[in-house]
Amino acid sequence: MSSPFTGLLGQLIRHRGVSGCLVVGERDGMIVEANLQIGVNGNAFAALSSSLYRKARRSALAAGFGEAGFFELTAEAGRVCAVGRNDLVLIVIAEPTVNVGLIRVEMLKAMELFA
Amino acid sequence: MRLTVAASWVETPLHQLVADARLELGVLLHPTGQVLGQFGFARSVDVMTACALAAATHASSNELGRMLDGKPFGTVHYVGSTRQFFRATVPTKGTSLILFAVFDEESSLGLVQLFFQQFCEAVAELAPSPQAEPAALAENFESELNRNLAVMFGRA
Repeated sequence: MSSPFTGLLGQLIRHRGVSGCLVVGERDGMIVEANLQIGVNGNAFAALSSSLYRKARRSALAAGFGEAGFFELTAEAGRVCAVGRNDLVLIVIAEPTVNVGLIRVEMLKAMELFA
Repeated sequence: MRLTVAASWVETPLHQLVADARLELGVLLHPTGQVLGQFGFARSVDVMTACALAAATHASSNELGRMLDGKPFGTVHYVGSTRQFFRATVPTKGTSLILFAVFDEESSLGLVQLFFQQFCEAVAELAPSPQAEPAALAENFESELNRNLAVMFGRA
């Protein structure tokens, strides 16, 4: 069964260094659709990353910066990138060496699907 | 956050769950309605009410699950305008407990489910065997409930 996000997630997962990509509900942290490599705990990632994104977005609003754009977390062994619109968040999990610029462009372009 | 327990082994996992999942209030109880721990409540009468309602909805949703699906519904989640509740069965050695938890927009269902799994693992490890802690019998249920409430609200 495919959804409007199947093609998008299929494109993102093909990038070198990307180990998972998910569309998640921002409020409930539940997975709408995901494309994950074996070993990635999708449910835990969805819940924690969407919570992080929601708090970052609210922080930006509280600081008077307006709506959050692209969110990126760089950790020792990986990166988490997120963009969101209309209560949905697109999350990409990747290795540190991933081409973030390219991922960013694709994720922002994908926001048209969330409109 | 005020968290009190009637059984000491419950305290650490319950405290962890409340902190991690950012729960607002709730109770952990036996399916009979006997309370084991509570958080966020200020009055014992509210705990008693929450326990009675949680036990009743647990029993009725179990029965509905058996009728519809051949097995009890393990989890119930309700979304209100500002708050949500999550009621789930916590398996332990020989028996099961009920967790009834309320949370707001500071948390999410995904987070609650995630940390609830960890809570279940901790409870399964720490819970005493049914022989060591017999469940409340029907004839002494009320006195057991009152005793637990007295312990939790400092009147023992």
